Amino acid sequence: MMSSLIISVQLALVTTLILLLVALPLAYVLAFKSFKGRTMLEVLVALPLVLPPTVLGYYVLLLIAPDSMLGGLWQSLFDSSLAFSFSGMVVASVLYSLPFAVQPMQQAFRAIPKRWLELGKAQGMHMKHSLLKIILPASKGGILVAAALSFAHTMGEFGVVLMVGGSIPGETKVASIALFEMVEMQQQSEAWMLALILLALSFVMLLVVYSVNRSGLHMGVMK
Amino acid sequence: MTHEIRLNTQRGSLFLDVHTEFANEMVVISGENGAGKSTLLRCIAGLEDVSGQIFMHQQHWLDSSAGFVLPIEQRKLGFVWSEAVLLPWLTIEKNIVLGVDEEDFVWFKQLVEQLEIKHLLKRKPDVLSTGEAQRVALARAIYRKPSILLLDEPFSAQAPDIRARLRQVLQRLQKQLQIPIILVSHDVEDANVLAQQHWRMREGKLMVSINRHSRATPGCTLCLWHSPKGGNLKEKKVNHE
Repeated sequence: MMSSLIISVQLALVTTLILLLVALPLAYVLAFKSFKGRTMLEVLVALPLVLPPTVLGYYVLLLIAPDSMLGGLWQSLFDSSLAFSFSGMVVASVLYSLPFAVQPMQQAFRAIPKRWLELGKAQGMHMKHSLLKIILPASKGGILVAAALSFAHTMGEFGVVLMVGGSIPGETKVASIALFEMVEMQQQSEAWMLALILLALSFVMLLVVYSVNRSGLHMGVMK
Repeated sequence: MTHEIRLNTQRGSLFLDVHTEFANEMVVISGENGAGKSTLLRCIAGLEDVSGQIFMHQQHWLDSSAGFVLPIEQRKLGFVWSEAVLLPWLTIEKNIVLGVDEEDFVWFKQLVEQLEIKHLLKRKPDVLSTGEAQRVALARAIYRKPSILLLDEPFSAQAPDIRARLRQVLQRLQKQLQIPIILVSHDVEDANVLAQQHWRMREGKLMVSINRHSRATPGCTLCLWHSPKGGNLKEKKVNHE
């Protein structure tokens, strides 16, 4: 039970870190730029929200299979298969939780008062400088929400990780899958315990999200 | 040094049609709400997409005929909005030095003393009064030693006594920095005390440009009249209205 929980937490942490880096430029262009194909990009980002996890898992498997481009490259670089591995699950999780990272950030960026962005320009700050000094500090709350939701959502994955990871004990068997197997094998007390831990973790994460949304962390105050 | 602005552009329901010249001097713009005063300031700054020409400090900032726009970041502006626009997570001190790479302590000290905000430096914007916040915004715009100072009602929240002192400060700073200062104001006193040029705007046009210098505003096609030599501003305004 412990090993599956540790794998879940590891997967959620790695996924969240990668997602913050991936989601930042995506949220930035979606919030501030208008370009051809913008709606298309927004739809692609939101797709994992409605797609059956097995469908996503299926395509990720095709993407990372040893005879695919990515899978083949991985195989030659690290001499191991990307499918049915922890790294493969990370790839799948990043795609699966993408909207949970992008959307809060995009909303936070959009909520920044227009004047603050103008101020950056008027004070001679270039884009990178404005991003570090104004946009990111002003969006602290949204970024925290993005991290909490990505973590919680990755912890709660089932279908995708089952298809891509294959439930190998000690390697790719995460807590949600372990719980399923416990119930199947009628290990009542262990199932009860694991379910409670997962419930508590999700509860705490959402508590963080809602507290942030309520508090002034996104700082709409303007003088 | 003469600077020239020639703008000809539709902004929403407003048609901005301005052609004027000014030196390194104090220009006061007045006019009714919606006359385009703030829009004109924003156009000069580059915060609005406009067509026309802006020639500042012997350099093109805007030349639509050549498709050229100098990015705002390179214009070295000092801009003050009608709100203070302070960043709430930074102290007053950090707000003032925002965007400035090389700090100048002597200059900083001079500014915060003259603008009477020295006692506020360690505080956060949320505890400031509107008037104090406005003076901080003024300090931030001036600290970077701008090439032009564009002020949208910068004294609106100040009490009368400090307002008078601030006018003197602004005059001193203008002489010290040798830059043009364009100030939008509804306060007649600002125009009377400060203006070396006084532009009155109506429906996007400069209706009257009163020039306190001996020369009339050259090339100002839209001016209804120019003040004659050494004209007294107050008297002229009475005559006009």
